[in-house]
This record gives sequence, structure tokens and C-alpha cells, in this order.
Amino acid sequence: MPRPQPKTITFTIDGLEVQAPENAMLVDAAKHGDVEIPVFCYEPKLGNPVGACRMCLVEIEGIPKLQTGCSTPVKDGMVVHTQTERVKTAQSSVVEFLLINHPLDCPVCDKGGECPLQDITFGWGRGTSRFIEPKRHFVKPLALSPLIAIDRERCILCYRCVRFSQEVSEDYQLVLLERGAHSYVSTFDGHPYVAPFSGNIVELCPVGALTSRAYRFRARPWDIEDSGSVCTLCPSQCNVRFTVRDERVLRVQARDHDEVDDGWLCDKGRFAYQSIHVDERVTQPLVRDGGELRPVSWERALEEAAAGLRRAAGRVGALAGGDATNEEGHLLARLMREGLGSEHLDTVAGIAPAELHELADPELQATVPDLELAHTVLVLGTEPVRDMAILDLRIRKGVRRHGLKLALATPGVSALDSSARLSLRYAPGHDADFVQALAAALYGGDVEQHARTCQADAGELRALAELLRTGGEEVVILYGQSVLADPAQASTAREALLKVARGLGLAGRPGAGLLAVPAAGANGRGLLEAGFAPGYGPGLQPVSAVSDGTNSDSATQASSTPGAAIQAPTAGETPTAPRALDAHGIGAALAAGELSALYLLNVDPLRSGLPHARWDAALEKASTVIAHAGFLTEGLRAHANVVFPAESYAEKEGTVVHPDGRLQRLRPAIGRPGETRAGWQVIAELARRCGHDLGVLTGAMASQQLFAAVPFYAGLTLEEIGGRGVRWQERPAAQAFPAPPSERAQTRAGAPSSDIAQTRAVQTNPGANGAHPQSHTPPSIWDSPEVEHSPALRFLFRRGLADARGATVPADPETVAAAAAREGRPA
Amino acid sequence: MTEALLFKDIDEPGLSTLDVYKARGGYEQLRRALREMTPEAVLGELEASNLRGRGGAGFQMGKKVSFLPKGTMDKYVVCNADESEPGTFKDRELMQKCPHMLIEGIVIASYAAGASRAFIYIRGEYVLQADILDAALNEAREAGFVGEDILGSGHSLSLVVHRGAGAYICGEETGLLDSLEGKRGNPRLKPPFPANQGLYQGPTLINNVETLCTVPAIIRMGGAEYAELGVQTSTGTKLVSVSGHVQKPGNYEIELGIPSREIIYGLAGGPPEGRSVKCWFPGGSSSPVLTGEDLDIPYDFDSMAKAGTMLGSGAVIVVDDSTPILDVALKVAKFYRHESCGKCTPCREGTNWTMKMLERIDNGEATPMDIEIMASVQEHIIGNCLCVLGDAMAMPIGSMIAKFRDEFEAHIEQARARNGLGAAAASESALAAHGAPLAGVGAQPAGPYPSEAH
Amino acid sequence: MSAGVGGVPRYHGSRVPGWDEPADLSKDPAEVPDPASTAVPEELRAEIEAHMAKYPDRRSATLPALEAAQRVHGWCSPEAIEQVACVMRLTPGYLAAVATFYDMLETDPVAPHKIYICTNISCGLCGADELYAAVRDAADESEFNVRSFECLGACDIAPMASVDGVYVGPLGLDDIPQLLDDVRAGRPVLPDKQLARRLVADPHANSREYELHPAQPGSGPRAARPAADAEQERGA
Repeated sequence: MPRPQPKTITFTIDGLEVQAPENAMLVDAAKHGDVEIPVFCYEPKLGNPVGACRMCLVEIEGIPKLQTGCSTPVKDGMVVHTQTERVKTAQSSVVEFLLINHPLDCPVCDKGGECPLQDITFGWGRGTSRFIEPKRHFVKPLALSPLIAIDRERCILCYRCVRFSQEVSEDYQLVLLERGAHSYVSTFDGHPYVAPFSGNIVELCPVGALTSRAYRFRARPWDIEDSGSVCTLCPSQCNVRFTVRDERVLRVQARDHDEVDDGWLCDKGRFAYQSIHVDERVTQPLVRDGGELRPVSWERALEEAAAGLRRAAGRVGALAGGDATNEEGHLLARLMREGLGSEHLDTVAGIAPAELHELADPELQATVPDLELAHTVLVLGTEPVRDMAILDLRIRKGVRRHGLKLALATPGVSALDSSARLSLRYAPGHDADFVQALAAALYGGDVEQHARTCQADAGELRALAELLRTGGEEVVILYGQSVLADPAQASTAREALLKVARGLGLAGRPGAGLLAVPAAGANGRGLLEAGFAPGYGPGLQPVSAVSDGTNSDSATQASSTPGAAIQAPTAGETPTAPRALDAHGIGAALAAGELSALYLLNVDPLRSGLPHARWDAALEKASTVIAHAGFLTEGLRAHANVVFPAESYAEKEGTVVHPDGRLQRLRPAIGRPGETRAGWQVIAELARRCGHDLGVLTGAMASQQLFAAVPFYAGLTLEEIGGRGVRWQERPAAQAFPAPPSERAQTRAGAPSSDIAQTRAVQTNPGANGAHPQSHTPPSIWDSPEVEHSPALRFLFRRGLADARGATVPADPETVAAAAAREGRPA
Repeated sequence: MTEALLFKDIDEPGLSTLDVYKARGGYEQLRRALREMTPEAVLGELEASNLRGRGGAGFQMGKKVSFLPKGTMDKYVVCNADESEPGTFKDRELMQKCPHMLIEGIVIASYAAGASRAFIYIRGEYVLQADILDAALNEAREAGFVGEDILGSGHSLSLVVHRGAGAYICGEETGLLDSLEGKRGNPRLKPPFPANQGLYQGPTLINNVETLCTVPAIIRMGGAEYAELGVQTSTGTKLVSVSGHVQKPGNYEIELGIPSREIIYGLAGGPPEGRSVKCWFPGGSSSPVLTGEDLDIPYDFDSMAKAGTMLGSGAVIVVDDSTPILDVALKVAKFYRHESCGKCTPCREGTNWTMKMLERIDNGEATPMDIEIMASVQEHIIGNCLCVLGDAMAMPIGSMIAKFRDEFEAHIEQARARNGLGAAAASESALAAHGAPLAGVGAQPAGPYPSEAH
Repeated sequence: MSAGVGGVPRYHGSRVPGWDEPADLSKDPAEVPDPASTAVPEELRAEIEAHMAKYPDRRSATLPALEAAQRVHGWCSPEAIEQVACVMRLTPGYLAAVATFYDMLETDPVAPHKIYICTNISCGLCGADELYAAVRDAADESEFNVRSFECLGACDIAPMASVDGVYVGPLGLDDIPQLLDDVRAGRPVLPDKQLARRLVADPHANSREYELHPAQPGSGPRAARPAADAEQERGA
């Protein structure tokens, strides 16, 4: 769809000649001349202006009546007055009208000090009230949901919250009831307003009518500081502002970024900050002693960990979770490769980097705004509200406002079904078959056969092919990387997906392409690019040598370690390539005793969508498990030998990469609690104790090292990333992106996987009844320790809503049991 | 002397059936328009007739049709039969007694507009009329006057009678559209106007029942001849609903431009014996009131506008000298407060506040200062609202204050006396009872305090 | 001034049920009802589906569907709204917002027979307030839903009432017993006073001779609503 190309025009406002984009609404255009026109109901994020509050009345020469600035597009030569007596009278009378029923209880109102009504009353009100009638009084505040309180006395009926519910999140739960002066915001028959994005209405409310129950009376605006950062609780990586008081995060608000989050947050992003300050958080180093994890000094913990790593002598695997930063991933990869001579490092997704490489080609990369402005979007094998929540709103916006044609192809029902032109279903675990079927429907092949295999409807598949072919040239395919999760099928799925994308001509076409929902968590893309991947170093470069020679001892030891899997020659791979185990291989090798130590960076394999029983056994068998963790989740509580307290996302420094390639910067908003140390610092210290100096003394140095190591980040600085981030594909260095090994990929058909397959072969196969016992299923973003440990969000578990949002995946039974135990009820 | 156009044979038994209507020449104009005329020619006649909308705003119908964009998109015709302006009951009479005339008008208008779907939005209270319309529509469908390829002309129209559920604001054209789309009947921001983006975002022609009923007559007479009726820009005949304090309330078809006195006295018989006209609404309760001195103003759009009021829907409500003006104001304010949709601030709060002030006057808790405030509130409502409902209260209330200020003041004094409150003490005690006005930073007197209040 | 919660007097002219109600946090969010667990009477379902078929957008059938549900349930009860929501695939909240907007949709339980008495201006001038008070006094609340209504569009028979949809007037206080008896007995209500029988006051009004007065040029008081400015049709 054509992107708007604003033309600059000149208009006059209060005697000033001002340049502004043509057709911008007057209230926005006025800002170009430092003129403020007050508004209540106007909020461009909510869609077209409604002109309801009448606060923005201004005088335009040539038009007899006063016009609402929020709905009048500015034209060249327009002459606008905001300071005439007529305008002032109209505006002050609107304030007077609004205050008729407003209680003016500012001293006890949570919004006081950051309240648009307060500000506008001071700025544009008449200073006195002529209304001497009794005001309305109600019981207040009332619960609107477990998260939100409503004070109906204060409501000025600006319609923002109900418009959000009806036109942005489209849940149609929050409505206005009754009519006229009796209108009030409510829900059907006393049901609570519970929806994945409900918290946004608190931020939208221009008065103190809707308040966060988690933030109420925690602070006044003059007590707090705002600190901008990025939420890494899911791959959306929404830009946030932390409200900080006395080194505590008390609130999270959106830091609007059109190209990332469009100014919205999900309720997890808005309320899970509470998990930063709970007692359950690990804030001291722990070491298992006499069967239990006990607090110890850093010295002891580091020494235990280093000793464990040294003992393992290269038989070490490492897993990283999605909220690890690029820097942490990069440094841990260096520790593994250079310090310990191990190439067994992966994210929990366990998808071979070779499968991801070509799909990450900048030529094929779609961006988040493309999801809204494309002609057609195919959502393939992912449920946004479960996997990357904020995209749900983005896609809805495209459908509603731009006529985007949406097609869904998922194993389970989707929240987007009602917005879609086509909703296709296929059998869970048959992603590759489905993509093949789609390729066949587009370019010939046995559609019926493939459709039967994945239990999809062949007719619908043809309709989907038709839509993709004829729906307009800008096609975006939003796919869950989990379609590549089955190692045996990954290459097939990748090839079919690339065939679909390239065949549609998406490569190099602006506004079109692929966008992946990482299976490895929030920073799945960054970890891959930083080199935290089996056999792939920084910048997706295959590792040609295990080490640079500084640690030849460990390297030698590693290669001489007995073990069929590790020793097995890798078929079709270059002979110099290192033996590299992916997540599945690591698990199998641990269970088989071929690896003895495991390093867990912000991840618990038992809470990550990996096969539970298999990993339980693997952890049990490992002699050393070292973890960075914020919470002692079940796998760590049972199996970790050393636990380092991990920083929360509000304490971290570093960078992450958005699934569309935007590098974003985390900045510490608060100090680290207890004895928590920075992740990069712990890894560097550990490396030193293992005899390898990573050469990192500050967080910024870690970033510089990363930028230097990744060819397509070349020349990047933290300053350049700044507060808005930068997409590396848009920088000149992007041409250093290594050419995808397509030819090799064709012939080799899953080289690392064959390695893994052998590893697996040594094991019994308990999953014979399940379709794909090996593969990884990313857990719903709502099923995470942060949600579980945030008091405000605990109701989601109590009510099974986290599962509901998990859509296709039943929650881990142990999690539910744990939650149940906390609530004191049977699971 | 003119023949009746809309009320011809109106009380003929069975006129609501197809047979009788056809026997009286019904659907002949439809046949002529669709078979012998191009849509442009039909539009030309409508434009030549200068017919102004009979719903209230008086916008030229032909112009409205011509505003619809050309093209093949889905276009709609909506008949506004949500007749709820207090005092108005003319459309009811037409729909009940001559439903086929409306259907014929709608089909011809849809032909001119190039619309293939039409809706009649009838207020839910009109149960009898909606049933009659439904029955007539079935007859018309069976006779081939509505449906696919009407009379072999190639023009198709589906027509649905949609019943409202009791909300005055749904008579406002954009509120009606929202209501017809199944939402709360909140008016929309304009632009875009319905001609460009109306029902289901498509170009939409919205006209009142009486306007559409006039269409067959215009085709029969020819636009130019129709324009000969009436005066200047107020052409044709108009149904006037006369009610209130008159001896013969009812609907009268008149030629625009006759003296108002003729309507109130000549046709409706004037107020009961011994009473005189105190004030009257010339165009429904939304129009500013005129007094007994204004009876010689000609009854047409422009003359009423010049007199500071409006012809509106053609509903003449007569109030005789036995009724206190405050009672009239209370009725009007109560109605608009009840019917305000609540979307925009000045209307929602202004109608509410005005009502409270009037009640306070009635209860004897007001001071003359309140009249000033009330007048100022009306001024702040007028022109500042999203739709015209706020103005519809503020204009008549404002006109009552302007024309009957003495009576309001006297009422305040009498009511206070009844409450045992003296003039001087009254204002202070009233204020004390409710709390004094806020004295903000740089406080100024909240309004012009009359000297006797101090 | 009316008694508020806990007997605390409150000072506002208008009490709206619901303003003081918190959400019941033990309930689930009100999403589009699940057809599997929402029983809808077959006739009601068929009627709603027929209404939906008439419009390009199914939501247009909201008012007819709610009206149908009200006929079945007596009022737009939460259950009725859930049934409509289930058939129309809308959230009950959407429908509740609509139902509470319109005067004829009852969102509280009401008696079976509805008597709307117009108390707007024209009827008011002819004694509608006294009529309304008298009907309220005479009618049993369990039998009759007596409401004062805004203009019903029958000012020619003022004061008037709509009795179960049938317009009757002009009504005197002495008509009340007969009116209520007729409703109870299921007879046509006050047959002689039904609007359906009323003739147009003077169909030949237009055949009189008048002198037409063209509008005089010159400026009068402030023009109320310039036609060009008010490009719309008011409800009339």
C-alpha cells in the first residue's frame, strides 16, 4: 500500500507563519509553531478523530463557525486563530462544562500532577465555576478488573477507553452504557474488563478515572523519575518508560515508537515489572551444598562455577534464554569457544542456524510497520497474542484502517480469526507439510497430497494461494520460527517458505517480505547474530576452527573426549567444521553422559518448551549446572549447582535485536538489587578464572566488542542506536551480511541435524506416541516466571487465562500445580 | 388556490393498499421516470423543483442527490422516518395512509442517485405505521415496483423497513446512520458528509419522508411547474403539524409563504376562547419561539430565518397566555437533556446544567443572577456542539430568556417568596446551601451580580 | 436528594443504576458467547438470523434482534443479551451499550403491558402530566409498565398514550379505568380514540385562497440556522 508522502505547506497560526505537513490535523500542525491547542478526546493512535470533547475549537478565517482542530486538516495558506476572545470563550466554556460533574478532588487523586484535565483547566479554564448545583457522588473507586480501578465521578466521557476497546484491541468489552449525561463507562453485567491489552486504557485516560490498581497511591509525579528502556519480556521489544521511585520500578508506560509498538503495551509488559521487586527473586549467588542451594559469596560461587567448568574439560554445553542481551550472548559464546573449547551452545529453540540464515536475508526482511501497510499479510504458524503480543494490535490496525487482507494459517484457533479473510487450520506439528502444500498451491505440485498430510483444506489452500498472488504486491509473511522446530523437517519447511517468498517476488521489494517470530524468545534474533549458535560465530559466520589457539588444551581435551555423538564425523560438512551440538543435541549428550556441564544463561530448560521429561533426565545426569537466573524455577531448584543472580530487564545494560533487525538499547533504570552483578561482568570474570581474558571492563566495552565482531554491525555505536534503535539493514554495513549458503543448504540437507540425529539415536525414544517428541514448542509469553511472580497478574493463572492466551499449547502441568499450590487450592 | 399534492385523497378508504393507490394513479410516475427518463433527467427535475428538505434543515434535495459521487460503488438511499421532533406528526400521517407514495418516491430517488439499496428508518414507537409500510412493501415487491430490474428498466433496489427503538438523536442523519449500522445512535463528525461517506462508508442520500413523498408529484408536474408553488426559495407545499393550545390540532397541507396567522387561526382555529397566543414554535421545539406579535410573518424558510427562528420540520406548537413560560422552558430542557446522546461536552453538560437551573428557579432557590448564567450557558452551547441537538435546546431556551426575561424574574421572586426566602437573603442562603462558587487564582466575580443581591 | 448506598444521602438529580456497581471479579470476561454453552430458543435464533440476512453488515440487525429478544424474555435481560450475542457473534458488551441507549429497550425487568404516556410539550400543554400521574396511580405496577415518554408524534390527539403500541387519545382522566380494563381483557383499547381511525384535520386546507407574502429583503435578527451551514435533515 502506498506509504503517505507528506508535503510541507505553510499556514498561519496566531500570526506566525508555520510549516507543517499537509493534511496534518490542526492540533498537530500547531505544534510546529509551538502553539498548543488543548485536547481530551483526540488521540491519533485511536483512529480517526471523533470531535467529541470540543476542547480544541479554533477559529479559521473564512469559516463562520469555530472548528475542531483535532479534525481539521491543515491546508496551505490557512489562517488560524487560537487566542481570540471567541476561541478563548469557547474553550473556557468547555472546561467549565467538563468540570460540572468533575469532583475536583485533585489532592487525593492519583492523576494529580500529570493530569491533562488539571493542566488544561489551569491553562484554558476560567478559574472560577458558576456551577452551584450539587455534583454527582458515587462510590469510588470501583474495581473494573483485577488490574484497573474506575472512578466514575472523575470521568469526563472522552470516549478514549471505549474506543480503545472497540477500535484498537477490538475486544468490545468496555463500553458506554446509558445515554447523555447518564452515560458511564462499564462492561456487560458486571463482568470484569480482562483482555490482553486492557492496561492501555489507564494510560489513555486524560483524568483520574481509570487508574492502575498496582500503581495507585504509590507515588506522586514529583516523587518519580522516568527512565526509558526496552521491554524484553517478549519478542515485541516494546519501548517502555519505567516509572522509578527510590530505586524501585513502580509503573511501566509506553514510550511510543511507531516502528516497534505503535504506542501500546500488553498487560504483561505493563504489569510484570512487579516481578522485579518480589521476595522470590534471586539476589545472591547460590551454591548447592548438601543438596540445597544456599547463599554464598560471589567469590565462592564463581570459584565453584569455574571449577565445574574446568572439570568438565570442554564437555560443556550452554543454553541461553530469550531475554539475554546480545552482549551476554556474545561473551558467553566467547567463553565457550575460546575459553572452554566447546561449540555446544544454542538457544532453547534448537533450530539450526543454517535454517535461519537465508530467512534472515535483509532482502527478504519485512518490518513491523509493513504488517500494517502491506496489501496482504499471512500469519503462519504463530498466534501473535501468545507469541509476540503487540503485533496483534498492529495487524488489526492494518485490517481496520488500511484494508489489509489478512490470512491465517495456524494449527489452533486465533484471536485474529474474526479479522481474517481466510483462516486455515492444519494439524499441529505439520508446519513443514503445510508450507509445502502452500508452495504446491502456488507453483504447482500435488496440493491434495500435501493437504491431506497436514489435514488442511485443499480448496482453502488454493484460495490462500490466489489471495497471495493477486491481493497486491506487498505481501508480508509473519511466521513463527517454530515452523522450523522439528529438526527432521526444518530444511523442508525453510526451502518451501523461501520458495513461497521468492516466488511471490518478495525479495528486495519494499514493504514486503518475511518477519519471524523468534522461537528462542525475546532476543532470539540478537543471540543468533551475536554468535550464540552452534557452529556459527558472530554475524552468522560458520566457525571454521574451534578455538583461536589460546586454549588449545581444552580444545584438545574436547576433541579427545569419548562419545559417539561428538566424535561422529559430520556428513556433508566441511572437514574442518567443529562438532557443534544444538539444544536437542546438548540435552541428549547430557543424558548420555557425553557432556557433563551445562551453562544456563537466563533459561530453565524445564520452563522453555523443551521436552520436559527428557530434559529433566538430562539435568539430573549433568554433574555441573551453572545458571544465571532471576527466579528459581523448577529445573534450577532441582538441578542447578551454582546460581548467579541475574539482572532484571530494568537493571540491564546492553543491546537486543528486534525480529525485524532493529538494534535497541537497554538502559539501567534502577540499581541492581542485593548482590546482583551485571551478566557481562560475571561471564567475563568466569572466563578469567577459566584462564581466558575476554577483555571487557565495562558494559559499553562489551557492546563495542560485539559491534566489531559482527560484520554487518560495523561502525555501530551505542549513540547511534540511541533511544529509538536502528535497523542494521538500513545501514551501509548491511552489505556485509554473509551470502546465504543456499547451494550448500540444498545439498547438505541438515548437516548439523544428522549429527544430532545420531546423538538421539543412542537414546531410547519415549515419544513414539507423540508426533515430534524432539521439537521445541515456545511457551506462551503469558506463561513465564515474570507473570507468575507479579502479584497483579497472578489472577491470570488463577483463572486459567494464561492458558487461554497460550491458545494451542497447554500450560506446563507443574507450573499450574505450582501456581495452585501458592493459591492454596488443588491443581 | 392549489390542489393538494400529498394529501390528495388522503382519507380515501384503502389508500394504503396497492390497488387503491394504483387506481389513483399511483406508480405511474415511477413507470415514467424509470422507463422514459434517464437518471440525469430525473435529477434535473428534482433540481429544477428547488424542493427543500422537509425534515428540518431545509437543504435542497436535488443538490443533495447531485453531491453523490458517480461510479459503481455501493450507494444507499435512506429515508429518515424517525419523526421525533416534538410537535411533528406529518410523516406519521403519510406513512399510515399513503405508504406507497413513499415507496414510489424512494424508488425514483434511488434511480436518480444510482443506489441499489434503500432503508426506511422508522421510529420504533410507530408500530402501526411500520406494519403498514411492511405490508405495502410486500405488495410493491410482488408487483415488481421494488426488487430486481424494476419494470424492465434495469434499475434494481432492495428496500428494508428498519425500526428504531426510541432515541430522538437517531433523527439526526449521522446518528441515524450509526443506529442503522447497529450501533448507539451517536452523531458522527462532519465532514465527511453522508453523500460521500455515509451508511457502511458508502455514498448515501438521506431524506425525510415528506421530501421523498413529494418526488412523484415533482415528476408528474415537472420540476419547473412545482417550483411555481410557494415563494422564492421556499417552493411547493408543506405539511404543517399544528398542536398545543389550538382548537383544531392536526396536519394541514399549505403552500409555503402564507401568513402564519392563517395557519394558527385560520386553519387550526386558534387558542381556546378567551385566550391569546403567548408564544409559538414555528418549526418544532428546536426552533426559537415567536410571540403573538409575530403572527403575520409569512410561513416560509427564509422569512422564518429572518425572524431569527426556523421553519424546521413545520411543526407549529402554540402556547396560550395561561401557561407560564418556565413550564415551557422546563419541558423543552427536560426533553433535550433526556435525548442528548452524551457524545460531545457542551450538549451533554449544557442541557443537564440548564435543566438544573430551571428546576432551581421553579423551586425558589434561584436568584436573578441565574438567568444571566443560564443565558450565557445557552450562548456557550450554540455553535460549539458536534451536532445540532445542543443548539436545538439552547436556541429556544435562549429565545425564551430574551423574550420573557421579565416573567422569569418574576417567577424567581414568586417562587422564593413561596419558599419564605426574602429577596436579599435569598441569594446568600442559596449559595450557602450549595457552597460558594470556587474562588480560584485571580478570581473574578462569576457573573454580573444584580445589585439587589448584595 | 435521594438515599444513597448505606442510607447516606446523596445529592444529585439523576440516579443511574450501574454507576455504583463494581465489576464482579469472580466472573470471566464477557467475550463472544460460546455457541456450545449458550442455549438460544430456536424461534429467536431463526428470527435474528433472518434479520441479519437483510443487511450488508450483520450488526445492522442489532436493534431488531434485541427487540425480538425482548419480546421473548420480557426485557433485555443479561440472558437475553447473551443469546443475541451468541447468534450475532458479537460481545454482550456491545449489545448492552446499544440496549441502554434506546428508550424502548428495557434493561430492567418490567410488567407485561406497556403504557407510554407522552409528557412532552404539546401533550403537556393539554394536561399530560396530570394524566400520567393518574395512570400511575390507577395501574398496578405488576401488570402495567407505565412510563412518561418523550414526544410520540401524535400531538394532534394530545394528551395521548401508546398502549402496547396502539396510539389512543385525546385521553381524559375518566378514560383511564376503561383503558386499563380493555388491556386486561385483551380487547382493543378505547376503539373510538385510536389514532388509526382519525381523519386528517382538513385535507383541503390548501384549497383556500391566501395572499402569499414573499420574504422581505433586509436583515432580521440573527439567522437561526443558515441552510448551507446545517447541511442535514433533522429528525422531524
